[in-house]
Parts: sequence; structure tokens; C-alpha cells
Amino acid sequence: MGMMEKMDDLTAAREYLTFRLDQEEYGIDILKVQEIRGYEPPTRVANAPNFIKGVVNLRGTIVPIVDMRLKFNCAKAEYDSFTVVIILNLRHRIVGIVVDSVSDVMELPPEALKAAPDIESVIDSGAVMGLGSLGERMLILLDIERLMSAPDMGLVSSGE
Amino acid sequence: MSETHQDSGSSGGDIDLSQFYQIFFEEAGENLDLMETMLLNLNLETADDEVLNGIFRCAHSVKGGAATFGFADVAELTHKMESLLDRLRRHELQPNAAMVDVLLESADASRSLLARHQTGDTSPAAPTGDLVMRIADLAAGNAPPVVAKPAAPVAAPVVAPKPAAPVVAGQRQLEIKVGPLAKPEQADAIAELFRDIPGLGTIQVLSSDRKDFRVFAVDTASTDDDLLDLFTFHVAREQIEIRPAAVMSPAPAVAVVDASHGFFDGAPGAPESSAAPAAVEASAGFGFFDGAPGAPSVHEVSVAVTPVVEVLGATKAVTKAAASQAAQPEAATIRVAISKVDQLINLVGELVITQAMLAQNSRALDPAIYQQLLTGLADLDRNTRDLQESVMSIRMIPMSIVFSRFPRMLRDLAGKLGKKVDFVTQGEATELDKGLVEKITDPLTHLVRNSCDHGIEMPADRLAAGKPETGTITLSASHQGGSIVIEVRDDGKGLSREKILKKAKERGMDVSDQMSDADVWGLIFAPGFSTADVVTDVSGRGVGMDVVKRNIAALNGTVEIDSAEGFGMRVAVRLPLTLAIMDGMSVGVGDEVYILPLSSVVESFQVKSDAVSTVGQGSQLVKVRDEYMPVIELEKVFQVPRFDFDKNSDIMVVVEADGSRVVLLVDELLGQQQVVVKNLESNYRKVPNVSGATILGDGKVALILDTGALVRRSRH
Repeated sequence: MGMMEKMDDLTAAREYLTFRLDQEEYGIDILKVQEIRGYEPPTRVANAPNFIKGVVNLRGTIVPIVDMRLKFNCAKAEYDSFTVVIILNLRHRIVGIVVDSVSDVMELPPEALKAAPDIESVIDSGAVMGLGSLGERMLILLDIERLMSAPDMGLVSSGE
Repeated sequence: MSETHQDSGSSGGDIDLSQFYQIFFEEAGENLDLMETMLLNLNLETADDEVLNGIFRCAHSVKGGAATFGFADVAELTHKMESLLDRLRRHELQPNAAMVDVLLESADASRSLLARHQTGDTSPAAPTGDLVMRIADLAAGNAPPVVAKPAAPVAAPVVAPKPAAPVVAGQRQLEIKVGPLAKPEQADAIAELFRDIPGLGTIQVLSSDRKDFRVFAVDTASTDDDLLDLFTFHVAREQIEIRPAAVMSPAPAVAVVDASHGFFDGAPGAPESSAAPAAVEASAGFGFFDGAPGAPSVHEVSVAVTPVVEVLGATKAVTKAAASQAAQPEAATIRVAISKVDQLINLVGELVITQAMLAQNSRALDPAIYQQLLTGLADLDRNTRDLQESVMSIRMIPMSIVFSRFPRMLRDLAGKLGKKVDFVTQGEATELDKGLVEKITDPLTHLVRNSCDHGIEMPADRLAAGKPETGTITLSASHQGGSIVIEVRDDGKGLSREKILKKAKERGMDVSDQMSDADVWGLIFAPGFSTADVVTDVSGRGVGMDVVKRNIAALNGTVEIDSAEGFGMRVAVRLPLTLAIMDGMSVGVGDEVYILPLSSVVESFQVKSDAVSTVGQGSQLVKVRDEYMPVIELEKVFQVPRFDFDKNSDIMVVVEADGSRVVLLVDELLGQQQVVVKNLESNYRKVPNVSGATILGDGKVALILDTGALVRRSRH
């Protein structure tokens, strides 16, 4: 993995952007987030999996849009004025993900993270960095970089 | 589609090569810098093949360019360097420190020779004969001659120009005596003048033998009258006495002149010092000229012992000349990072989209009430359009810029080789990204040169083979299936399979007689591979194809070779469109818009349902005039969802790619427009049948079809 991981001080608290997918709350490393935008209908790309909605023009750059709700098999995926796209800046790649809403930016000390138990899930268990507890709520922390570069995501040409 | 432009070799002399000089100087500079870095990092005991090849290629490129533009001195020197380097990379010689020294010196010498050509300096150049001899000696395997101790010359050129820096032409050292004054402090205001007025000069208070007098040492470019005019603000004219300072040695003067002030010398108030700024810039600001003033290292070997003062004087004089002549070309162009231009292009694209949105929303406004607003919007429309065009044009340049380099080169080359060659160019108007043009020029030069040197036969041989006496080299460029294809064709003798295989075996390469033609042709891309019988200064060292392949691979491009022995050879360089403007035709399929490269569109027409016939497993063919063509339904290929069942695909567009034609079925033709090709793969994966994407006027993304892939698809 990249420099990022090495440079991170493991003892320092990290900041996470949290968002909702249906009833679940997820968190991703805030440093991977470039910006947050409203949803606009993308241009469909043929032969793409259903959760890849297509590509949009982000100030001159062509950016693929992934609907996390479809990827994680959420019950419904509606597109309204509240639907939000988080633009991620992963290593050399820019990707947008569609979520129901963005909730917060929060700081979590490493001790607030619990290892995720082995569970049957649509999410590759390696992509879950851990679970954070926020009082009553549970936060699923995603290794978004790993998730997005996984082959089943269909974002990267095979062999790359 | 592409216009053909006939340009026989004899008319090549009309073309003004000087417009390309700048590009060459920049390239050569970069190559020499690169070579120097590699030489300095070269590990003598365990010299890396890659590095040796790299150094060799640098020398080769400089030589090639210098020969093209007729800089014989540079070409000769670099040719010698190349010979030495060639032996090194073949491991016929072991690199040693003396060689590195000589090569470094030669690089310096080449640089200063180039600088002389660049500034148009016509004074006699420093002789390179000694260097050439030393290189030849080393290349022959002899020990370095003892006379030329390498350490001294390296230091000399660096040291020499430096002391010249602060000495400003037109500066005078004066002693100014002010008094008698009732209040001597009054005179301090004069000292303040020098502090406040930039460019006036410097002042120092000297000790005075009388209390009511003040004495200053002044260093200025201004005239006495100007100084007096200034001083009379503070003291009476009669109380000022200006006289030249006692002759001083240069050393203290250097110490006094403030470098930062020196830059402004000759600014208002210093009319007579017009030469000053040039000299300052040349010596202080632009290290660029440091090598220029005819202080080539070789020459200085013996000079290094002469008194410093003399070297100083000489350097100063030449620097001035070089600076004044160089001023013009420098102002003509600026080099800007491509990323900045890209950013500009993106921002302008956004601006255009915003403008389109404003125009859309203002359409409903009542012109009577909002007249001013609407006039403003119309201006905005025009200005953004102009702006977009100008910004785009920064990056895009027509291939003719590259192509027109060649007629002259070919003419000289053909003359030298005793061959007769016609040069034909096609598709000169094809626009190509500036970045690509810069990088494609070198490989193309190699290819064209190879064609002339190895491909085209001697007139007598051609006649004997039943061919016209004059050979033809064709250079063509076209947009094809989302790539730019540049071809170099000749009707010469082509590649010889046996010769290549024989050579490969001699070199111990892993080959067999059963290899396919394509694989055999591929062998010529190996470093150092050449089938030429004689190594000339033109080609034959086998470096060309190696460089070509590398440079093009670095651009994500491919090189294909086609050859028929006795009939000629074709080298096709295919480059991806990273950023190119393309004429596109937008077509509608369902609710979606796709872009077809206009260059591949042949015609379009309404389908008559009985014109389509089915063959075998549902493949459809349509008869267009006398030709049957496969039909591709874009709706199926791109799985376009259809909501409006009243519409259907009943328009056929005939496209041509890779020499075959197919018919695409679309719903409607939406129009033609210039589109900026965007890379889809920078953030996403490769999409079949799509070569890229573009942004439409409304800010939406449209995919550009890869007609080449569609044509290939129909073949299977």
C-alpha cells in the first residue's frame, strides 16, 4: 500500500467522514475525500455492473460514479435532491460514490475501534477496517481505497 | 479526406528551418543535461548497459538534430562522442575516468557551440579539434594524452564568468565633495537620495578633512548634470564638486556595487547607460549565457594560467554581444508546463458550460426590458468562444510543423548518399497535441532518415530492379479509431528477412527461422541492432529503431512494421489521443448521445427496410450501391435502454476504419462539432468499443466510439 499508510501515526486519532446507507452508518478516512456534491444523472456506460451508474464531468475530468447502495444491496436506492455524491481521491484515481446522506466528520482515537467479527456480508471483510462505537450507534469503518480497487468493483481494467 | 501535398526534395530549400531551431536548441540542451547527469552517475567498474545506452542515445539525438540543421561543428563533435560511446556500450572498451572527463568537456563544448548558433554569434568559435582528437584517441583504445590534464578545464569555465557579474558597463566612480555647509547634516540627504532612488547607484561617506565639508564616494551611471539636478534639492549647486574618483582596482568596485541595485541601473535617470541592463542580465540573471561567451572549456585549458583580469575583460565584451543578440528570440516564446495549459483548458471548458447555461436561462427574458443584460450575454458568448479557441490552440499544432522539417533534411541526405528521393506528405492539417509533437519529432526523424539511408536504393539499382529512378518517401498522419497514426512509407528495398535473422544470430539473440514476419521485423527494435553494412554519420548503428520504440512506448503508443522485400517498407506509429480536438458527429441512440469521429464517417442515409438482409446467425448485411457491408446496431452493442418505442434506429452511418467499412444503425444524427477528447481510463477502466469521452455543451459526458474496434468486431 502507499505512503499514506506508512506516514500515518498509528497512535494518533484519525478523522472520518461518516455517511448513511439506508439504516447503516459508515465512515471513511477524511483524507481520501476530495469534495461532496449533489447527485446529477451520469452518462451510462455499457457493460458496466449495475452499481456503476456511469460517468460525470467533474470540471473537465471524467469521473465514474458508484452507487454504494446498489453495491451493498440496500433495499432502496432513490435519487432525489438529498442524494449526495462523495468524490474520493484515491491513488491517482478520482471516483464518486452515491450515498443517502453525509452525516458528520468525527475524530476517533484508535482505542475506539473494534475489530470487525467475521461475518457473512456483501462487503469484502478485508475492506472493513473496524467498527467504531458512538454511544448507541455503530460505525462501520471502510478501507475505501481497497474497496474501490477490488476487481469486483469493475473500476479498474483487469491486469492493471 | 486528407489532402495530399506533393513536395519534391528539390523544393525543400524554400522552407525556413529557423522556426525549428528553437525546438532543436531546447531538445539538445535537455539531451546534453541528461547526458551529463548520467555521465556523472556512471559507475565505472560496473557500468550499467541501460545507462551506457542512454548516454549514447543522448549524443545520437544531438548529433542527428545538429546534422539536420547544418551545425557541422556540433555534429562532428557529437559524432566522435557517439563513436566512443558506441564502443563503450558494446563493451569493446572499459569506461574510465578520462573518458568521462572528455565526454563531459565535449558536452560543455557542444553546449557553447550551440549557444553560439542560437545567438547567431559569428565570431570565430573555440576550436574543438583538440577534443575531437582526444576522443578519437580514447575511442581507439589509447591512454589519454598527458598534456590535457582534465581537472583544470572543468573548473575554468565555471570560474571565469563569475567575477564579471557585478561589473556594470557605464558605471563611473566619482568623488563628490559638498560644502562649505553651515549644517553638514544637510549633505546626508544626498546619501538618502541614493537609497531612495533605485538605480541611481551607491554612495559611501568618506572621511573629510574639514568639518563643514562632506565627501562621498559615489558609484553611478548617471551624468554629472543629472546628479547636480538631483542634489540641488538639498544643497546649492555651487557647493557641490564632482570629480572622478582616483583610479581604483576592480576588486573594491566589485565589493561596493550592490547586486540587487545593479539590476536597475540604466532605469530612469541614467540615460547614457543603455548597454548596462543587457550586461547585467546576461551575467547575473540568466545563467543561460554562462557557457555562451566563447569560453569553451577546451580553449581555456591553456588560458587558465593567464591573469584573471584578462579573462575578465574578454568575457565581459563577448557577454554583451551575446546578450543583445539573444534578446529577440527569447521574447518570442515561453515554455509553460503542460499541466498549466491543461488546467486552463479545463477551466475554460467549465466557463463555456456556465455560459451555455446562462444563455439557456436568459432565453425567456423579455428583450425590451433586459436589453443590457442580453447584450452582455451575447458578448460573453462571443468572448468565451474566442477564449476557448485560443486556449485550445495553445496545445494543438498541425503536423505540418513536424513534417516541414524533413524536406530539407532529406534533400541534403539524398544528395550526400547520391540518391534521388521525392518526399510526399499527407494529412498535414491533422492536429496533434503539442506534447506529443515534441516527443514524436525525434522518432520520426530517425524513421525518415532510415528510409532514405537503408530503404531507398541507389538510382542505378532502382532502374535495374525495374523501379523509377526516383524513390518516394511518404509521411502521412491521420486520426484513426481514436488514435493518431503517423506513417513513414518508402518504395525502397524493404527489410530482408534473411539478413535480419543472420544478424540476430551473430549477436547471439534467441531466434529461429520459423519466426513470423512480424516477429522478425520486431528484432530491429533491439538496442544496437543494425543490418547496414557501413556505419555512416546518418544511420547504421542501429540506434534509431531502439529510440523510436522507446519514445513511442513512453507515449503509450505502438510501432508496426510492414515490409515486402524489394517493394518497400511501412512503419506506422500509432499514438493514443490523450488530448486532441477531434471533429465529431454526434448521433442519438435512444436517449443517449454518442460521438463518431467525423474522419471515419463516409456517408449516412435513411434505411429502406428491404435493404437489410440477414446471413447465417443473424448477422445483418446491407447493400450500399455495389457493396455489402455488415450492420452494427449501436443500440445492441451499448445495451441502450429504450423508453420511447416510437423511435427506432433507421438511420445508417457508413464508417470506415482499418480499410474496411461497416454500417452503424442509429436513431438520429444530431450534428457535427469539435470535441475535446478526454481519457476515460484515467479514472475508469477501458470500455469496449469506446475510445474516449468528451463533454457536451450542456456539461454532460458523451462517449466517443472507437470505429476501429467496431470494424474489427464485425469481422469476427
